[in-house]
Amino acid sequence: MSPAVGSPIIAHLDLDAFFAAVEELERPELRTKPLVVGGDPHGRGVVATANYVARRYGIHSAMSCAEALRRCPEVVFVRPRHAEYSAVSRRVWDAVREVVPTVERTGLDEGYLDVGEVARDLREARGIAGAVQAAVRGATGLTCSLGVSTTKVVAKVASDRRKPGGIVLVPPGREAAFLAPFPVRTLPGVGPRAEERLRAYGVTTIGELAALPDDRLAAILTGSVGVLLRDRARGIDARRLERVVANVSVSQEETFPRDVADRVRLHDELRRMAERVSERLRRAGESARTVTTKLRYPDFATRSRSITLPVGTDDAEAIGDLACHLLDRALTERPGALRLVGVTVSNLESGVQLRLESG
Amino acid sequence: MSTDTVAGAQMKVTCRSEELAERLAVAGRGVSTRTSVHVLTGILLRAESGSLTLAATDMELSLRLSLDATVDGDGATVVPGRLLVDIARLLPPGEVTLEHRAEEGTLKLTCGPASYALNTFAVEDFPRLPELEGDESFSVERPAFLDTVAKVSRSASRDESRPVLTGILVRFEAGRLVMAATDSYRLSVKETELEGGPGRELEAIVPARALGELSRVAQAAASDTIEIGIRDNQVVFEVDGVVLTARRIDGQFPNYKQLVPEAFEAEVELPRDEFLDVVRRTALMAQRKSPLRLRFEEGQVTVSAQTQDVGEAQESLPVAYGGDTLEIGFNADFLRDGLESVSEDKARLKLISPLRPGLIQGEGDDFLYLIMPIRLAG
Repeated sequence: MSPAVGSPIIAHLDLDAFFAAVEELERPELRTKPLVVGGDPHGRGVVATANYVARRYGIHSAMSCAEALRRCPEVVFVRPRHAEYSAVSRRVWDAVREVVPTVERTGLDEGYLDVGEVARDLREARGIAGAVQAAVRGATGLTCSLGVSTTKVVAKVASDRRKPGGIVLVPPGREAAFLAPFPVRTLPGVGPRAEERLRAYGVTTIGELAALPDDRLAAILTGSVGVLLRDRARGIDARRLERVVANVSVSQEETFPRDVADRVRLHDELRRMAERVSERLRRAGESARTVTTKLRYPDFATRSRSITLPVGTDDAEAIGDLACHLLDRALTERPGALRLVGVTVSNLESGVQLRLESG
Repeated sequence: MSTDTVAGAQMKVTCRSEELAERLAVAGRGVSTRTSVHVLTGILLRAESGSLTLAATDMELSLRLSLDATVDGDGATVVPGRLLVDIARLLPPGEVTLEHRAEEGTLKLTCGPASYALNTFAVEDFPRLPELEGDESFSVERPAFLDTVAKVSRSASRDESRPVLTGILVRFEAGRLVMAATDSYRLSVKETELEGGPGRELEAIVPARALGELSRVAQAAASDTIEIGIRDNQVVFEVDGVVLTARRIDGQFPNYKQLVPEAFEAEVELPRDEFLDVVRRTALMAQRKSPLRLRFEEGQVTVSAQTQDVGEAQESLPVAYGGDTLEIGFNADFLRDGLESVSEDKARLKLISPLRPGLIQGEGDDFLYLIMPIRLAG
């Protein structure tokens, strides 16, 4: 297990249709049916995950459940069970660490692996990637796809190329050529706004972004972000694995079946979410210093208001109080009914600062 | 008393640029940083009877002060505060003339070859600021008052969701002044012998930020006293001609006496400076709010800290501790704040258990700092 010489070898692992796959494990009869894990198709639910059968009907994540139902009336809807997914995810990552000890989880169903730690070259890396897939399947019955290359950005794009169950290797020197044909939006870091700007200037592929000269780049994307994205488009990405394994935040949010203007109801919702957030913090023995309330208006305008405390809290009431206070503040600035509210806590720390109490 | 401005009057005033800059820097601290109410981002200039008065407020606190000036026309106007402060700061030394041109809606500022025209706000929109009326005010010793503020202010909360904790409880009793502040994790209480005072019991919760500004303004003041007036909604302070008004915070301040345990299990005397140095050094490794661990055992205390992915530190100091071994975690900043607030050479630390509050005091009983521990994981 000598460390790799030269370029790093990084893999990106992505579980295939994770939520849906977990549901299929428990109810194997769903495997052959179009399945959507998500919200209420008769309300405003959105698709969290669609299985591969459902994807054949053009159903995909973030589509409204109502639309999914229109595209495929036989689709089976299942409400997400996040606690279950967390438990399965833990088993997945425990299994992955058996093969590659250093991993950076970026979500329940995806993360980066420091393959260079256990493989000398790309040929060995392919073997490792196969071993990771086998370990995950053995521990949970789930399939995953991996992209392997020298940088995070290339590994991430590669893991999505041959789903489900695929392994894509991009050797050193081939990074830019591999990325070039994909639409710019495929590049991690390019959001809808950047895509729109790039498109307006005729830049539609990653390769075109990579080829932009400095002055044109500066005209399209201001500041350092332009240079960063162009570097990524060229396969240049200095990010290494972040080994802080702890959660960075815990959140809860809810889209209402109908817009809600009633302040008491909104406060109730936030306090209920605060309870759940607090529960998760307590289980992890953590406390949070930052509380954020998210609001979405009927026109989809989304705002968030945060407050950072001098010390962390895991207390449901304290988090609820802050969340309601932030909501009130945001609603003073822009009143109106809301389509969604959410609570996020971040700036997590270990240990819990106790409060003074009488007596 | 402020006189209402006669419509059509044109303010014209001349003063020294150095003095204007210095006084504006003080007034500028009252300017609102929120831009929702435009006029509050401005500084009010009022010229009358041989002086120029500057005022700013963000509705929570206001500052007002004057400087000598040659007044060629009485009047008032409001100009963008931050901008005026910056301009004045950079002017060359010499005479500066400020002239309000109401018909143009501008303030013309000239200083030697430099001239500016600043757009103004409507003076009618600027809130009326309260005066300090002689009959209801009293004076206190400046150093004693400021020292008391300094001892407790760090414990005040910055969390605006519980406004009452963002204030300092200021209470005048017969012959003494008591201040208390708590953010619910720690509590500071300081009692100070005081000459003067209101002559009766009086208390108010004053925003800690306002007392902080008062300390800043009054630190270098020439006057030995601070004039104080306590109103229904406001507290007014005056020192060296600077009038600071603070909104009183409504609500019930926690009954802090109930927070202090009646008895402690262990007491240890610590050499303040030495222990503080140990805490400061070790705290460098208590990043991202990791707790500082204090382990007391026969004859010594060991302070340690570790931060994931950064590293760890530990250091022991001999102390006269004879109780059972006790390990307790504290927020490093809170512990340091408490020790720094002790002015004597010896600090006393009293403890009960790892989950109960600790008490820090100096050699006397006029100051206490109660601090809740961090429940250590694992």
